[in-house]
Amino acid sequence: MSALDWAVLTGALTFIIGYGAWRTRRAGSSLDGYLLGGRQTRWWGVGLSIIATQASAITFLSTPGQAYADGMRFIQFYFGLPIAMVLISIVAVPIYQRLQVFTAYEYLQSRFDKRTRTLAAGLFLLQRGLSNGLSLYAPALVLSAILGWNTTVTVCLLGAVIIGYTVSGGTRAVTVTQQGQVAVIFCGMVVAGYLLVHYLPREVGFSDAMHVAGRMGKLNLVDFHFDWENRYNFWTGMTGGLFLALSYFGTDQSQVQRYLSGQSVTQSRLGLLMNGLVKVPMQFGILLVGVLLFVFYLFQPAPLTFNRPMYERVMRSDMAPQARQLEQQYTLIQDAQREAATALVATHQQGNTPGQAAANLRLQTTQAAAAGIRASWKGLVQQVAPAADSKDTDYVFISFVLRYLPRGLVGLLVAVVLSAAMSSAASGLNSLGSTTVIDLYRPFTRRLHCPDAHLVAVSRWSTVGWGVLGVGFALFAAQMENLIQAVNILGSLFYGTILGIFAVAFFQKRVHGRAVFWAAVVTQLATLLAFWLTDIAYLWYNILGCFAVMLLAEGAQRLANRREIRLQQPASL
Amino acid sequence: MTNFFNSMPATPEINKPPMLPSWRAWYGLVLAALAAEIALFVWLSRYFVT
Repeated sequence: MSALDWAVLTGALTFIIGYGAWRTRRAGSSLDGYLLGGRQTRWWGVGLSIIATQASAITFLSTPGQAYADGMRFIQFYFGLPIAMVLISIVAVPIYQRLQVFTAYEYLQSRFDKRTRTLAAGLFLLQRGLSNGLSLYAPALVLSAILGWNTTVTVCLLGAVIIGYTVSGGTRAVTVTQQGQVAVIFCGMVVAGYLLVHYLPREVGFSDAMHVAGRMGKLNLVDFHFDWENRYNFWTGMTGGLFLALSYFGTDQSQVQRYLSGQSVTQSRLGLLMNGLVKVPMQFGILLVGVLLFVFYLFQPAPLTFNRPMYERVMRSDMAPQARQLEQQYTLIQDAQREAATALVATHQQGNTPGQAAANLRLQTTQAAAAGIRASWKGLVQQVAPAADSKDTDYVFISFVLRYLPRGLVGLLVAVVLSAAMSSAASGLNSLGSTTVIDLYRPFTRRLHCPDAHLVAVSRWSTVGWGVLGVGFALFAAQMENLIQAVNILGSLFYGTILGIFAVAFFQKRVHGRAVFWAAVVTQLATLLAFWLTDIAYLWYNILGCFAVMLLAEGAQRLANRREIRLQQPASL
Repeated sequence: MTNFFNSMPATPEINKPPMLPSWRAWYGLVLAALAAEIALFVWLSRYFVT
């Protein structure tokens, strides 16, 4: 990076941290002010905060890489989200706002009992505490790629900065900061997309690029074919994706806290609906950047791997001669690939159908050959570093940014990634601190009267604790297959059960605490067992877990009712 | 089972959303946008493959 990039990056980060600290000054020691920003947020603030919380650095780094390798089919994962926004607006928002709760789990005590509330809060803390660690790892990935820093040192350093920023700032500071960050993220996406098209050869326009991507199977946006083991198709999106979104936005405190800070039911609802309108087009845009990257690298030389640190590690090992041989073969294949792609565009522009088919076949053949060489490279990586992740999709976008974007813009885009990471990690830590103090500390403390200042202090210290745990977990994240999938898999293992508890609370009025508690415990254990023993796509766990809790709770309640009736009969006789 | 629409507290502030005549109109807008997006994606998948 140039001096200008460093200046832009440092300036942006200093502004973000300084801004957070400045907002903290106003948070004061009131629990309502610190945890919910005094419930003063307008609908657009709620909506932008919801978008920023979900769209972390992982979204910006991993998603284009996923589209580059796998096409746009990941978009189907978000099809259930707008429906979830509508359902949550109708069912959950009025209840949470009417009860004036600090966390979603507080509602469960008034509906069931303290035990069920603690179970749901505990499951949330477990999965959010771990997935927040993954959110910390993503920006560390960027810095280690840019600076060549040790990942462990980078994770610890970045974690310390984020913890400091989150602890000093309350929900209001987090929310206000996120508004600017979303604007910068949208600008960054547009700039990256524009430059990708601009950097294509002069004879290749946007429409040509889309045709090439379509021919190579990258525009696989909608797949109506049903398959239990296929993670992303229309049906998994509309069912598993819907239930994951219902769980995430309806019961995950990191999101619930965003709309609990709304001024009223109207403001909270409009914020959620804004997310329902924006999310699918936004993800489409990010995935499109990945597809354009794929087309870009058909015409420009792509490295054998985008993971530069791993490349250098292999080249320093005994495997270097084999690696160099693979690299030479890959260069030759790329030349053939470029010729085939150019011929495909030319024949498409001429309307030469037989020529298109021939060029298409040549391009697919070279793609298959390139995939074979990359597979051999992954084999070398496995031999050099058996525990390391041989996939490089998370590095694709940032490699393009660093190599091709003009000075100044590189620093800005890196700052965008880091500020997005900070905003989502801040929301996560903020919700972990809130849930710890509201659902675990306050109900069990022996102190008769807890002043707000004391609870805010407990919240701050628990945030520090969760931050340190997240940093520890982030150190293991390098071995995950794909960051965003890892986060979603982790969420899906717990979300089904949590959503089931809330679904029983909202819709099965005759079911009591004891029945739902044991139904949730059994379901959670069964989910973990099924994940370990079967190949069911992870999105299905959301829907299966939810229905399992509902059915088991209903069955357990009916059994309990029958037993109660039987016990009462002799007495009445 | 609770009816979704009956579960909404009937306060004037909730029944009159800004910009559109009712909450049902807002929900319809979000769902119609989703349907339009899926239709566009199906078209894009087919148009650029041939």
